[in-house]
Order: sequence, then C-alpha cells, then structure tokens
Amino acid sequence: MAGSDHKTIEVKGLLGWINARLPVVQAFEKHMSKYYAPKNFNLWYLFGVLSIVVLVNQLLTGIWLTMHFNNSSEGAFASVEYIMRDVPYGWILRYMHSTGASAFFIVVYLHMFRGLMYGSYQKPRELIWIFGMTIYLVLMAEGFMGYVLPWGQMSYWGANVIVSLFGAIPVVGQDLMQWIQGDFLISGATLNRFFALHVVALPLVLVGLVILHILALHEVGSNNPDGIEIKNNKDANGIPLDGIPFHPYYTVHDLVGIVVFLFVFCFVIFFMPEMGGYFLEHANFEEANNLKTPEHIAPVWYFTPFYSMLRAVTYPFLGLDAKMWGMVVMGLAIAILFVVPWLDRSPVKSMRYKGWYSRITLLFFVVAFIILGVLGTKLATGPRTALAQICTVYYFVFFLAMPWYTRKEVTKTPPQRVTGRFITMPQLLLSLFLIAGLITLPLYVVGAETEIELSHFEVNLEDKASLQSGAATFINNCMGCHSAGSSRYQRVASDLDIPEDLMKDYLVLDADTNIGDLMVSAMPIEASKSWFGAAPPDLSLVARVRTPEWLYGYLKGFYLDASRPFGVNNRVFENVAMPNVLGNLQGDQIPCTTEGCSETIHVEGTGSLTAEEFDKQVYDLVNFLTYLGEPALMHRKTIGAYVLFFLAFLFVFAFMLNREYWKDVH
Amino acid sequence: MSDGTVNKSRRRFLIGSTSLVGAAGGVGAAIPFVGSWSPSAKALAAGAPITIDISRLDPGELMGPMPAWRGQPVFVMLRNEETLASLRENTNHLADPSSEKAEQQPQYAQNEFRSRKPEIMIMVGLCTHLGCSPKLFAEVEPQDFDPNWKGGFFCPCHGSMFDLAGRVFLGVPAPDNLRVPPHYYVNDDVVVIGIDAENS
Ligand code: HEC
Repeated sequence: MAGSDHKTIEVKGLLGWINARLPVVQAFEKHMSKYYAPKNFNLWYLFGVLSIVVLVNQLLTGIWLTMHFNNSSEGAFASVEYIMRDVPYGWILRYMHSTGASAFFIVVYLHMFRGLMYGSYQKPRELIWIFGMTIYLVLMAEGFMGYVLPWGQMSYWGANVIVSLFGAIPVVGQDLMQWIQGDFLISGATLNRFFALHVVALPLVLVGLVILHILALHEVGSNNPDGIEIKNNKDANGIPLDGIPFHPYYTVHDLVGIVVFLFVFCFVIFFMPEMGGYFLEHANFEEANNLKTPEHIAPVWYFTPFYSMLRAVTYPFLGLDAKMWGMVVMGLAIAILFVVPWLDRSPVKSMRYKGWYSRITLLFFVVAFIILGVLGTKLATGPRTALAQICTVYYFVFFLAMPWYTRKEVTKTPPQRVTGRFITMPQLLLSLFLIAGLITLPLYVVGAETEIELSHFEVNLEDKASLQSGAATFINNCMGCHSAGSSRYQRVASDLDIPEDLMKDYLVLDADTNIGDLMVSAMPIEASKSWFGAAPPDLSLVARVRTPEWLYGYLKGFYLDASRPFGVNNRVFENVAMPNVLGNLQGDQIPCTTEGCSETIHVEGTGSLTAEEFDKQVYDLVNFLTYLGEPALMHRKTIGAYVLFFLAFLFVFAFMLNREYWKDVH
Repeated sequence: MSDGTVNKSRRRFLIGSTSLVGAAGGVGAAIPFVGSWSPSAKALAAGAPITIDISRLDPGELMGPMPAWRGQPVFVMLRNEETLASLRENTNHLADPSSEKAEQQPQYAQNEFRSRKPEIMIMVGLCTHLGCSPKLFAEVEPQDFDPNWKGGFFCPCHGSMFDLAGRVFLGVPAPDNLRVPPHYYVNDDVVVIGIDAENS
C-alpha cells in the first residue's frame, strides 16, 4: 500500500469550507478510506453491499411507481397494468421493483448465512446481528405489504391468510383482526393503510436500521472468514496488519461484484421477470375477488419456509388450537434468530475452526430451510406435511441444541493472522452436491404433482401476420362478450403494424369509440352473469394467468355434452359457462373413450375449416392473447440484450481496475 | 503488503475509463425514470383531437359547454359582420395586431381575424399571462376596466384584455395573443380541433 494513503489530507477550497462546518472528510475517512477491513474477505462478503444496492433500487423505483399507482381498491389493479402498458418505460420500473423484492431476500438470506457460517454475531458483534435481524423482520413486513398493493388474487388471499393469523390469538384475536383490516374483510381500507406503511413508514425505519447496522459494524470492525480479530495485530501506527482501507480496495472490489450482480439482475428483469411464477405469481395477474378463492394459495417464495412451518402444526395443545400454535411456531422461528449470539457457546467463531457437530448441523439446517421453502410453494398433502414437520423440528433443534453442541465438540485453534482460501474446490463441490441431494431426495419421496396434459405452445411475436390474424379473430369473435380493458386499440395497431385507419374502420367496434380508447366490450357485466351463469372475464391478462398452453388446449377443448346449457363442455375447463364460439369453424368434437387418449375426436363433415386451418386460427389467436398479456414483450428482450452487453463491457473495466489495486496485496 | 511501486498513470487511466463507462450506464439507467414522466398513452388518448359540430352556433355566442382539447378550454364563436368590421378598424391599442408571433397560431390563421374562416373564431381559452381563463364580454359598452370597450375577453386574474380575435392589448400583463389551436373543417358544420388537415 502506498504511504500517502495514511496522511491526513488537508482540504482547501469549497470542500474545506464545508468541512469546517460539517466533518465530511473525517466521516469519509472513518467509514471509507481509513476503515480497515480484513483483507481476506471472500465472495460471501459481497452480499452486504449488494443489499444496499438493492435497497437503493427499491427506493428509487418505488418512488417512481407511486407516481403512477392508484392506491384504491377500485383502481389499484388497473393502475399496475396502466404502468405496464401506458406509462413510457413503466414496465421496466415495475419489473425492477418486483425483481428487486426477490433479489433483496436472496442477498439478505445469503448475508445471514454468511453470518451463521463465520460466527459474525459473536461478541462483540451481537448488536450488529440484532440490527440485522430487525432489518430482516421489517423487510418481511415490507415485502408482505408490498405484495398486497397490486391487488391481484394472491395479494388479496395472501393478505387474508396472514391477517387471519392474528385472529388466532385468544380473546382479542377477532377484534385485532378487524382493527388491522379496518373492515370486516380485507378491503380498500386495508389497502390504503398498507400502502402508507409500505411507501413511507417502513422504508424510513429500514433506512434508519441500515445506518445503525453499519455504524455498529464500523465501531467494532468487520469479522472475516477466519473469525479472528484483526485488531489484535497492529503495526506501529496502530493500523491492523491484516487490514486494508475499505476505500479504494474494497470499493473497486465490490464494484466487480455489483456489476456481476446487475448482470444477473437485469437478465431476470428482461428475460424472465416472472421467474416461472416465483417472483410474480400467475394468479396475481387476476384482479382480487373476495368471492372466489384461488385453488392454491402460496405466498411468494421468500415467505414459504415460515409458511410451511405454520402449516406443519396440525395438533391442538394445552387447550389451544393448532392454528394458534402454528402462529406461535412461526413467530418463534423468527424470534429465535435474534438470540443466536447467546446460543453459540463455541470458543471460536468461524466454521473453519469449529468442530464437526457445528458443520453438520449447519449443513442440515440449510437443507431443512430450503425443503421447507419448497414445500411452502406446494399444496399440503399427508407426506408433505410430515416432511415439513420433521424439518420444522430440526429447525428448532439446530438452535436450541446449539449451546450444547458448540461446547461439546472439538474445535481447532484459529491462526494468529488471517489466511486465504480454506475450502478446496472438491470439498466445495461435494458439499453443494450433498446439499442438493439431501434436498431433492425427500421432496421426491413425498411426491410430485400430476397435471392435465397440455401440448407445448411456441409463442412467436415476430410473426406479425399471425398476430394480426389473431387480433382480428379476437375482436370479431370474442369482444362481443369479453373485454381487454387494459389494452388500447391504438397500441395494438402500432405494435402489430396494423394501419390506424384500417384498425378504426374494420376493427374498432362502435363509432363512438376512439382509437386511443381501452378495448372494452359493450356487454353489460351484470346482465351477462345471468345470461351465462358467469361473467365473461377480462382477457387482457389471461395468457399470464393461464399460460398460452392452457389457452390453446382450452380453445380447442370444447366437446359435445348435452347436459350443459350450451350443449358443450370443455376438456381443460370443466363445466365452463362459455359457449363454443368457434364451434362452427371447428365443427363438432366428441370425447374419446379409449384409454390414454388425451384429445377429442372430430365428427366428420362438420365445421367450415379443416383441422389444420382451425389449428392455425387458434394458434394465431393464442399468439395474440400472449402479446396482449404483455405488450412490452415485443421489445423487452431486445432492450435486455443491449443492457447485458453494456454490463459485460463495464465488467471488463471494473475487473481491470480491481486487479490493478489488488495485484500487490498479499 | 506492497512493494511500493504504484503505476499511478495506469491507475488514473483505469479509474477514468471505468468512471466514464459507469457514468454512461448511469445515464442509461436514468432513461426509464426520466422517460416515465412524459404523457402516458392514457394522457395522449385523452388529449387526442376532438370533433365538434358548429351548425347550431348563434352569432356572438361562445359555444357552451366549452369543448376541451388536451384538458384546455377551447373558445368557439361565430362572429357577425359588425364584429369583423370592428376588428379590421383601429388596431393601435394592440400588441401584435397582425399576428407576427408565429408560435401563437398555425400559418393559416396568421391573418387579421386569426382564423381559417373569417366568421369562426377558434381559440385556446387560456390567458397567455399565467393561464387563467379569460371571460367573454361581447357587448360594445363601457366597462369598469375599459371605458371604450369594443367587445372581447377580459382576464379576471390580472386584468389582461383581448379583442374578439384573441389579440392582446398593449399595457396589460399578458405578452401574447391567445393561441389558435391547429384545426380543420371536415365540412361546413364539423370542425376537428387538435390537428391540421395537412398533418392528419
Ligand atoms: C357468448 C359470449 C362469449 C364469447 C363470444 C366468448 N366468450 Fe369466453 N367466456 C364467456 C363466459 C361467460 C366465460 C366464463 C366461463 C366461466 O367462468 O365458467 C368465458 C370464459 C373464457 C375464458 C376463461 C377465462 C378464465 O381464465 O377463467 C377464456 C380463456 C375465454 N373465455 C376466451 C374466449 C375467447 C378467446 C373468445 C373468442 C374466440 C371468447 N372467449 C368468446 C363468454 C364468451
């Protein structure tokens, strides 16, 4: 390290003027250029700074989203789609925020695991850990309330499940629940207060806690993978021999990590923002409806471990019912994290020098936690509940037995000075392999789900002719009953290269409608309910709720069934209230009776189109409905490719800068 | 820790180039934030050109309820021969009698009546001072604010005065004539406001 790094810099000019009134230079030195961090930080030490990056992302995109969001129960859902479609670049802001929420929990979970692994909570860092756990707790509240805001089915019913927990509390439960909801059910009043807490109160608390977390850390100094105090070995100037100034060494180092993180983050935003239904659940693309519970309620992935524990409790005990105990278990599972500093009685901090008891219990802890997480996303069946119970018990054993096994085991003596890489590559791979195996095996045993078979559907938004044909079919055949009320004619015309006057003259339904208007059907919703027995739902987002495969199967799945009001039933959607509107094109279908056949059989001589022509027409329609579900899909991946390319370019610079600073540090 | 030989110029170059590329990324990241403040598709649809029927307009009367374009009140009025004659007279008290400021009206309205058809006045009813909506005082009679009033618009907020072609008086706070929006006649009775035939 160059000697000049240690001199107190004399400041003149504007900075000097400010510094005489506000100690900015001293603050910078204390927290950056003269904050000595152990020089043996490894990858695990990135997740702290990454959580700050994500926090900033959430704050900025969150502020921008509130500019367009409508926090009333009537308008919330539509305003999210307004952001996704009508606000310029709104979809990017929304995906940044929704992906950021999941990213936040990923980095925080990894950060917490780092703490467990290297004993970062041990004396003198107990308070840092407590602030950290409080951040985690507030983050859960923040995530939960944020998830309610889009006012989809999962928002609504998820909130319902969580708020109902409070109803389990003896004596005051029911009143408490009503007080939280501000109503007899989750309603606009609940949405309003959650909005206020989500966008104002909790972020303030969160930022405050992060500051406390970092101040407390900088007071005692960072731990490191060896779990030894670098302050015990100082040079003549009082500088730790194993320390290195945070700035510039770790700023350039973290920059590389941040760029890699942003690469992955942007990949998700632009190429898989739903993350297969884990980051944005399919059912949440359907507006909240307090009369219709979705078939399967699963919270977002980051709550599923605790949700599993909640469901795992199925026995009443001490005169209190299982519901109450489920809540207690869930609460304790979070509360127990706070007292870890006092449960660990080991003479050493890091797993590197702890004994085998600690290592193996931690390994199984990771396994149990992930299994609980996976189970929480699935329907609870007998064997699954049993597995969740085993994992829940283990979760508590890990913590409650800690005072015992950390004292009993044989530990090694840590070195005096920090060391480099500890785990060898084969050991690392073996552990990962072991963890993966231990997770998948029990999950495999408790069974996979069986689903109705649907053929693969290849979406092609490049094929404008197909999309145009689909748009025409949709407007002519479906909009008599269904709306696509999130979408505007004009946008469809411009995205699909349909000339505006053509759109206006042939496709916009009535003369009073402007081309810029939303695609709303003239069918009165209340009357249609009594005509069909169910109101035709808005189809703007149906491809995101149901998937294109499902739609394709559904639209081809009508077959003759004299017991139904319209004489048809559906293979994919049993007892559907919709008539087979494409029936005169397709012709009659009858169910097949042979074993193992999944399709219906065509009745010869019916229908105006051949089977191929009909398939093509339905393909075009579903292709269009997929576009309709997310118009941004047209450009999303192209923009994403540019962004990733840029980040790869930035990575090269950050990488070289980092190497330049670290090449002489040993 | 180090051998003390630091290649300063290499470091400076790397810091500079990384910052530059990073700053470019910052600009890129700002695009969605800045861009999202532009009018949304909803605002654009609400601000789309409007079509109005002027067949039932009485002379000297301001069309009401006022049609709005982009949320702004639009004044539509049928002027009679006397009014047109008085507009042609005496223009000494006006700031820009021949509509020289090009941005206040489309080219086809850059004439003494500031209109496409002499008798029909179409104007954005917002004072060019600070955006209040001026009131019509159509009668030729002395007013509190002007004893020689020949008919026109008076802005109650800060006292600006305009004649019946929307031309601003000298000595009032408003700097410019009222704006004439782009418009065209589909036929004698129907006018589209918000777009010129030339651009439609
Ligand atoms: C005659 C009125 C009518 C027409 C025309 C019509 N539908 Fe329907 N549709 C309905 C009704 C009613 C339902 C509600 C069915 C239920 O919930 O049981 C429905 C339900 C649906 C659903 C299921 C939505 C869901 O997720 O539950 C889809 C998909 C659908 N329609 C697509 C279409 C398409 C595509 C067209 C044009 C080819 C079309 N519909 C034309 C009346 C109609």
